[in-house]
Amino acid sequence: MRRTAFSSYHPIVNFTYFAAVLVFAMLFMHPVFQAVALVSALVNSVLLNGRRAVRFNLRFLLPLFVLMAVVNPAFSHAGVTILFYLRDGNPVTLESILYGIAASCAYATVIVWFSCYNAVMTSDKFIYLFGRIMPALSLILSMVLRFVPRYRQQVKAISDAQKCVGRDVTQGNPLRRARNGIRILSVMTTWALENAIETADAMKSRGYGLPNRTSFSIYRFDGRDRNAFAAMAGLIGVVLLGAAFGENGIRYFPSVHVKHASPFGVAVYAAYFMLCMLPAAIQIVEELKWKSIASKN
Amino acid sequence: MRRQPLTDRRLTRRTLLAAALILVVIPATMLLGIFALNDRKYLFVSLLIVLYTMIPFALVFERRKPQARELIVIAVLAAIAVAGRAAFFMLPEFKPVVAIVIIAGVCFGGEAGFLVGAASGFVSNFFFGQGPWTPWQMFCFGIIGFIAGVLYKKGWLKRSRISLCVFGGLSTLVVYGGIINIGSVMMFDPVLTKEALLASYASGFWFDSVHAVATVLFLFFLSRPMIEKLDRTKVKYGLIEP
Amino acid sequence: MEIYRIKELSFAFPLQDKHALSGIDLAIGAGEFVAICGKSGCGKSTLLRHLKPILAPHGRLSGTIHYKGRPAAETDRRTQAADIGFVLQNPDNGIVTDKVWHELAFGLESLGYGQQTIRLRVAEMASFFGIQSWFRKPVNELSGGQKQLLNLASVMAMHPSVLILDEPTSQLDPISAVDFLETVSKINRELGTTVILTEHRLEEALPLADRLIVLDDGAVIADDSPRRAGAWLHGLGHPMFASMPSPMRIYAGVEAGADPAAPSPLTVKEGRQWLDRRMNGVAGGANAAIGRKRELIGESAAAQGKKPESMPSEAPPAAAEGSQSVSADGAEILPSEVPPSAAVAESRPASANDLAFADDNRMPAGAMSGNLPGSAPAADVPQSGAYPANPAINEATAREARKSAWRLLLDKPVAAPAAAPAVSFKDVWFKYDKNGPDAIKDLSFEVKKGEFYCLVGGNGTGKSTTLSLMSGLLRPYRGKVRIDGRNPAALGADELFANLLAVLPQNPQTLFVKKTVELDLHEIFDGARLTKEQKREKVEAAIRFAELEPLLGMHPYDLSGGEQQRAALAKVLLLEPSILLLDEPTKGLDGFFKAKLGEFLQKLNAGGVTIVMVSHDIEFCARYGETCAMFFDGGVIASKAAKPFFAGNGFYTTAANRMARHRWPDAVTAEDVIARCDDSR
Repeated sequence: MRRTAFSSYHPIVNFTYFAAVLVFAMLFMHPVFQAVALVSALVNSVLLNGRRAVRFNLRFLLPLFVLMAVVNPAFSHAGVTILFYLRDGNPVTLESILYGIAASCAYATVIVWFSCYNAVMTSDKFIYLFGRIMPALSLILSMVLRFVPRYRQQVKAISDAQKCVGRDVTQGNPLRRARNGIRILSVMTTWALENAIETADAMKSRGYGLPNRTSFSIYRFDGRDRNAFAAMAGLIGVVLLGAAFGENGIRYFPSVHVKHASPFGVAVYAAYFMLCMLPAAIQIVEELKWKSIASKN
Repeated sequence: MRRQPLTDRRLTRRTLLAAALILVVIPATMLLGIFALNDRKYLFVSLLIVLYTMIPFALVFERRKPQARELIVIAVLAAIAVAGRAAFFMLPEFKPVVAIVIIAGVCFGGEAGFLVGAASGFVSNFFFGQGPWTPWQMFCFGIIGFIAGVLYKKGWLKRSRISLCVFGGLSTLVVYGGIINIGSVMMFDPVLTKEALLASYASGFWFDSVHAVATVLFLFFLSRPMIEKLDRTKVKYGLIEP
Repeated sequence: MEIYRIKELSFAFPLQDKHALSGIDLAIGAGEFVAICGKSGCGKSTLLRHLKPILAPHGRLSGTIHYKGRPAAETDRRTQAADIGFVLQNPDNGIVTDKVWHELAFGLESLGYGQQTIRLRVAEMASFFGIQSWFRKPVNELSGGQKQLLNLASVMAMHPSVLILDEPTSQLDPISAVDFLETVSKINRELGTTVILTEHRLEEALPLADRLIVLDDGAVIADDSPRRAGAWLHGLGHPMFASMPSPMRIYAGVEAGADPAAPSPLTVKEGRQWLDRRMNGVAGGANAAIGRKRELIGESAAAQGKKPESMPSEAPPAAAEGSQSVSADGAEILPSEVPPSAAVAESRPASANDLAFADDNRMPAGAMSGNLPGSAPAADVPQSGAYPANPAINEATAREARKSAWRLLLDKPVAAPAAAPAVSFKDVWFKYDKNGPDAIKDLSFEVKKGEFYCLVGGNGTGKSTTLSLMSGLLRPYRGKVRIDGRNPAALGADELFANLLAVLPQNPQTLFVKKTVELDLHEIFDGARLTKEQKREKVEAAIRFAELEPLLGMHPYDLSGGEQQRAALAKVLLLEPSILLLDEPTKGLDGFFKAKLGEFLQKLNAGGVTIVMVSHDIEFCARYGETCAMFFDGGVIASKAAKPFFAGNGFYTTAANRMARHRWPDAVTAEDVIARCDDSR
C-alpha cells in the first residue's frame, strides 16, 4: 500500500467520506451521477493502488460489468420499447438493457470504492472509530487481527513439523489430505487455547475489566481534518439537497425518463464530482506543494 | 459460578430488541426504500437490514461488560476459523469456518457463537478485502452460531457427532447457502426476480454442496477433539461458563 | 521501605497433596534487584504469581503476604494493575492487541487515563525503550526481543513500583536476552523500580542482581548476595550450583574452601583478574590456599582425576529428577547414572544378534528396535566415565572408543565413514522470493555418518533455512543437497522420514496431537503396517529411553518445557531415524534439562545416529557437540571439532574460554579451566 495524502487524514474524515460515496453510489441511478461516481472511483483507485488497480479493473471488473449488463435483459422483460424477442418468446426491451447497464455500473462503482476503502481504512482506523461505541467488540477485533497472523505462522510450523513425521498435507488422496489438514487444525487449537490463557492473564494483569476504561488513539483531529470535514459536509449537504429536489431522479420503467438538467442540477452535479474527487484533489495539491517546496530548498 | 438466570435475562432483552427491530425498524427501512428511494435500491436496503440484525448482539454484549476471558475465547475461536482457511489452502471451498462457529455455539452459547461467526466473517475480509459481501457473510456465519447455541440449550442439538454433522450440513446448505445466494442476487442482479434467484441457487448449488460436505467432514473429525479441548480449558482454567 | 513481607507462605494446588510452596519467609525492600532461581517446577512462577494476587493460582494457601504494609490480597485491583508490573515468560502471549502503540496504551486505557496523559506516557516509554522506529508497526512484524521489550514497556507505562518478571528471556536469543536484561537493570538503576526476576540465564543476570534467592522444592534454600549465595550453594553441594556463572564455578572448583569471605568472581572480567592474580601467585611460589584446598575437598578432589566435575556441575541426571539429592560432589553422582544404561546393557547381546540392521551403507538407527542407543554409554562407563577428565585431549579418542565399542557389538566394520556422507551440501543457493536476497549463499559442507554436528551463529544467518533444506521442506535453486546420497526434496515424505531422517522442531508442541503422552506416542504409527505388539514394544522402548514413565498419563501441554522436549524426542525417534535434525533444542530449558537433553543426544549419537543441531547455545555445543560450524551470512564460515573451534574464536565462545583464553586458549569448558588450574599447581 502506498502512502497517500487522504489516508493520512483522521479516520472520521476517511470513514465519513467512504460512507457517503458508497451510499450515493448505491442510490443514485442518474447517468450523470453514475458517470461521475464511476470515473472518480477509478481515478482514486489508481491513485491509491497504482498499477495493481488498473490490472484489477481491467481483468476482473470489466468482464463482470459486461456480463451483468447482458444478463439483466435476459431476466427482466419490463419496459415498453421492445427491441426483439428471445427464442423462448420473451421480449428484450431497451429499458431493461439501459437499466442493466446502470445497475452494473452502480455495482462496479461500489466494488471500486471498496477497493479504495480497503487501502485507506486500515483495521486500526476502524478499531479506533468503533472503540468508542463498542469497546469490547473492537478489542476483540484487535485481538483477532493480532492472532490471525500468529496462527498462520503456527499453522506453517505445525504443518512443517507434521510433514517431517511423514504427514504431508500436500500429498496423497483428498481424504488423506483433509485428515492431515484437520490434524493440523486440531493441534493448532490446543496450542491456541493454552497460550490464550496467558494472554488473558496479561490483560487482567494490566487492569482490563476495571470500570471507566478509556480508549486511546494516535489520531488527532487537527485543523486540516476540520477543513476537510467541513468541505465534505458542505458537499454532502448540497448533494442531499439535490436528491431531495429530485435532481438525481431517473425512472427506467415502463419508459426511461430523466429529469432535465437545471442550473441547480448542474450545481449538484458539480458538488458530487467535487466530493468524489476529494481524495484525488488532496493528493494532487499536496504533490504540487511538495514539488514547489522541494524546488525552493 | 451460576450465571444461568443472567443468561436468560440477556436472551429476553435481546429478543425484545430484535423484535423491535424486526417489527418496526426493518419495515420502516423497506418503506423508505420503496417510497423515498424509488424502490429497486435492493443492495442498499438489504445491507441496512443485515446490519440491523447484528445490532442487538453488539449492544447486549457491550452492555454486560464482558471479562477478559470471554473476549479471549471469542477472539481465539474467530482467529482459528480465519487461520483455518490458511491450513486448507490446498483444498478450495473446503473451509472450516462454519464447523468452528457451530462448535463455539454449542460450547459457549448462542451469543458467543454469533460473535465468533460475525467476527470471523469480518476479519477474514480484512485479509481478503472488504466489500458489500462482508455484512452478508458476517450475518450468515453469526446466525448459524447463534442457532447452534440456542438449539443446544433447548436440547434439540446434541454434542454427538451425528447430531452436529446433520445440523452442520443442513445449516450450511440451507442457512448459509440460502442467505448468501439472496445476498449475491441483491448484489449482482439489479432486479430481484424469482428466475434470477433460482438461477443463483442453481449456479451456487455445487459450491454450497462442497461447503456443506466440508462442514460435515470437519464436524465429523474435529467436533470431538475440539469440544474436548474447549472443555479441558474450561476445567483447567475455569474459562467461561456456557 | 519494605515492599513485600512474606511470612510462612505455603501453597498447594487443588487436588495435590504436595506443597508447591512451603514455609517461605521473605522481605523485599524498595529498589532491590532480586533474582530468583531454581530448577523448573521448584515453585518460582507460583511464588511470583502470588506477589500479584490477581494472577495467583487457585489452591490452598496459608501464611501472609504483605504488600507495602497491607495484606496483598486486600490491595484493590487498580493498585495491583498499576503498581505491580508483571511480565510473562512468552513474549507472544503477553501482547494483546495488534499494534505496538495500542499495546503500549492498553494498561493506561484500563486505568481510565485521558487522551493527553496516555499520549505523554506512551511517548515517554517509546523514547526510554527506543521504540520510536517501530512505534506504528503491527506486532507480528516484530522480533522476539522487540516483543518482550514491548511487554516490558507497556507494563512500565503504568509506572509500577515493583516489576516482576517470570523468566523473561527464556524464549529469546542470547543477544536480545542480554539487551533485555540490561534494560531491566537500567530501569532498576535509573528509576529505582524494585525488580523481582526469575531467570535461567544466570551467567548474564547475576552480575546485575543485588540478591539471589534459590528455591528448591518450594522452599528457600539460599537468600543472599549472588556471590555469597553461590558460595553457600557450593558448600551445600547443591546441584543448582551447576547453573551459576562459569567464573564462579571455576573459582569454586579451584579455590574451594580457600576463604569463604573472599568474593568469588561473577563476571568474565572479574574471573580474568582473579585468574591472573592466582596464576601469578602460583608462579611466584607456594600458595597456602592450595594446600588447604586439597585437604578440604578431600576425596572429591581425588575423584576429579577420573570423573570430572563437569557431570555433577552441569546438573547430574539424578539431581535433575528433583529429589533432595544434595550430594557432596560429583563423585557420588556417577553410580546413579549407570543403572538405566546398565539395565539396557544386559539385554543388549541378545537383541544385538537378531538385529534387523542388514543395511550396509547406513549406520543403524538402533534407536527403537528394542536395543536402545542408551546402551552405548554403559559400554564406556568402565573405560573412562561418562566424560573424559581432560576433554580437550581425550575427547576424540573417547568418542571413537565409544563408537567402535558400539560397532563391534553390532558386528559392523569400523570403516563406515568411507560410505556416502549423511548430509552433504554442494554449492547450494537458496532464496525465499524470486527477487529477494539469497538466504543461503554458496553453501557447501558435509556431515559424516555418526557425527554430532552443531551449526552455530547469530539470528537470521540461514541456520534454520539450512535445516529446512535438509528436510526437503525447501528446495535450493542451485546446487545439490543430499541426505544419505539422495535428494530430500525429491523423496516422498513417506520415504524420507521413515528410518532415514527425523526432525525435532523448535517448538515441540507442534508435534503433539493427542491428549496424553502415551496416546500421542502411539499416534505416530497411525496407518503404519505393524502389529499391535510391535507398536507397543517400540513405544515402550522409546518411553524407557526418554524416561517418560511418570508422565505417560499427562496431557502434553501440562508438561514442563524440558519434559515436552523429551516427549517430542521420543516421538520422532519412533520413526527410527539414522539422522536426527534439531532446531534450537535448548531454547527455554533450564540447566538440568539441558544436561539431560545433552546426555540423551550423546546416547543416541553413540548409538550411531547422526545428529545435526542448530543452536545459539554456545555452552551446550561446546559441551556436547563433536563438530561445530560457524554460520554467517548464508554460509558456513569455519568448521572444526568443537573444542578447537571455540578455542579459535575470540568472541563467539564460552564464558570459561573468554575468561581463561589468554592463558589456555584451548580450555573451553569450566571443567577444562579447572583442570588446567589444578595441573599448573
